[in-house]
Amino acid sequence: MLKKLALASAALTASISLAFAGDLENKSWDEIVAQAKEEGQVAWYVWYLRDDLRNAVKPFEEEYGIKVTIPEGTNQGNQDKLLAERDREEGDIDVMALGYDAMASKDMEALFMDLSGYLPKDDDRVGSLVGIDPKGRALAFWGNQTGIAYDPAKVDASALPQTPTEFAEFWASNPGKFGFNFEKGGSGPSFHSNVMRNLSDVDFSSPDSSPEKLAKLKPGIEFFNEHGENYVITASNADSIIRVSDGELWMVPAWEDHLAGLQKRGEVRSDIKFYIPAMGMSGGGNGVSIPNNARNKAAALVFINWLTSADTQSAFNRDFGTAPMHGKADDSYALVSNDQRAHRVDPAKDPFYKELKDHFIENVILNR
Amino acid sequence: MTWRRWLQVILLLTPGLGLIVALIGTVVYIAIVQSFGLYNLTGESLLSAEHWAGVLERRAYGRAVRYSLYIGILSALFSVALAYPLALWLRKPFTGSVAVGAILKAPLLVHGLVAAFLFINVIAYHGVLNQFMQWIGLWEGPRRLQNDSNAIGVLILQTWKNMPFALLILTGAVQGISDDVLDAARDLGAGSMARFRKVIAPLTISAMQAALVIIFIGAVADFSFQVIAGPTNRQSMAQLMVFYKDGGRWHDAAVVGVSLMVVALVGSALLAFAARFILSGRRFR
Repeated sequence: MLKKLALASAALTASISLAFAGDLENKSWDEIVAQAKEEGQVAWYVWYLRDDLRNAVKPFEEEYGIKVTIPEGTNQGNQDKLLAERDREEGDIDVMALGYDAMASKDMEALFMDLSGYLPKDDDRVGSLVGIDPKGRALAFWGNQTGIAYDPAKVDASALPQTPTEFAEFWASNPGKFGFNFEKGGSGPSFHSNVMRNLSDVDFSSPDSSPEKLAKLKPGIEFFNEHGENYVITASNADSIIRVSDGELWMVPAWEDHLAGLQKRGEVRSDIKFYIPAMGMSGGGNGVSIPNNARNKAAALVFINWLTSADTQSAFNRDFGTAPMHGKADDSYALVSNDQRAHRVDPAKDPFYKELKDHFIENVILNR
Repeated sequence: MTWRRWLQVILLLTPGLGLIVALIGTVVYIAIVQSFGLYNLTGESLLSAEHWAGVLERRAYGRAVRYSLYIGILSALFSVALAYPLALWLRKPFTGSVAVGAILKAPLLVHGLVAAFLFINVIAYHGVLNQFMQWIGLWEGPRRLQNDSNAIGVLILQTWKNMPFALLILTGAVQGISDDVLDAARDLGAGSMARFRKVIAPLTISAMQAALVIIFIGAVADFSFQVIAGPTNRQSMAQLMVFYKDGGRWHDAAVVGVSLMVVALVGSALLAFAARFILSGRRFR
């Protein structure tokens, strides 16, 4: 009896340690799926629309029998957790969602496992985005775009401002009707940085920053100071959209997917429209990665395979208004037409972007 | 006392005080050394004063310190000034005084964030207040009241939230003054102002100092009211700290954090000293 018990416990320990080792090398995709089903769960750390995403992953749970847990947490909170846990043998995060802008300042190779080689081959998936190459450590699952949300009842849709000069004219003829945020969300910074990109002779594609480079932004800074009386500073992305919906403001920078989501849930007027001005506004995206110390690596791989598939990306476009991150996905539900997508530009890169935002606060916001 | 006696006292204090000192001490220690470049979460730790130099020369920093002091001092003064007459009114029980006291203390149970969002709804461009003012004909069109640049919205919220706390502390102190003392003052010809200035204020000064200091510390470190209802052309110190932290600049955030601790400490000491100096007949006891 004792011998049997000892043998059984030895076998159990061996099987557990094998499973925990997460040894996925040389496994076929079918074997990875089988191991994923054995693991039975995956923790996805994503910081936005958590309730809606919990519903959106139900088809995956039904198909594979793998439970997806989306914990509550903020973007920064999740990133802090990732850093705090990186030396633990096993972390809580199986799949980590990150904005591509945040990847630029992270040591992706040290933090995440290489996904290529494990997932079934599919060239239509998007790895590199907005000029950032995560070196196989991330795949895009969410494409988003900043632009201008406007109230068609107040603004003539055939004469929308397209350039900084036209925006200034709009501000002058409609003072206090255009607002943007400078913190708590990236839509306002996308607007002010792209105005500065248009007005200044500065290379926005390079992440390098220096006092001389920042000094060259002067024409843009002067533009905002000169017209300071005519526009409003809002408190956040959400505050901007809510005040357009309320009728207080007529035009605000916004994220396409944020606006679409709020409209879908009935929290914002459905007649609010969205466009990308010809001067260009930043588009970006979010990707998913698997931390090196993830507990359920196989389940995480199967989940990412599902999340970045054409079907799921089409569904996300329909339900969330995202720009699909798969070449074969259907994007017919987007708020903007494909010809307007041509106005998408890559966002400035850190550390330059961070210093630009600081520079804007010091020289425009604090002068108000 | 002999050293044995000292040791005994220290040992007796250790379970309570020791825990507090250890918990607060580690946090304060990490904040301070982080502001000097150590405990780097993402790169190499390097002892240096460059973060202090960098942050101190930013206009956003100086403005945040002045703004936080403005909010802290005015919130504490308004809360205490409003709470005093109410505490005196509620000194002697009367029919319904318990209900009145309970209603006045209700804001203590409402979370600050909830209050801030409710307030924003009320003062929104097409909110209840704007519609009411137009309905009675005082205003011709809606006015933009949200995020006003003098932070009147934040001061209203701070006072609304903190006044009940001051009331709680002051009621106890005011009720502790016996009728005999007040009657004696009355016999000696003291009017109501003189009774407040020469009897009630000096006798309740410790409670008032406590209320002032605790409210000041909370308001000077305000984050939630500021981000929702505060002016958008300046940041409070807590907001600036979080802004830096969210940008991954932990050392700059630590500099603001340490400054916030210093401002809270020095400011509350000065406030307590000033209150005693003014209310105890310009004598420092």
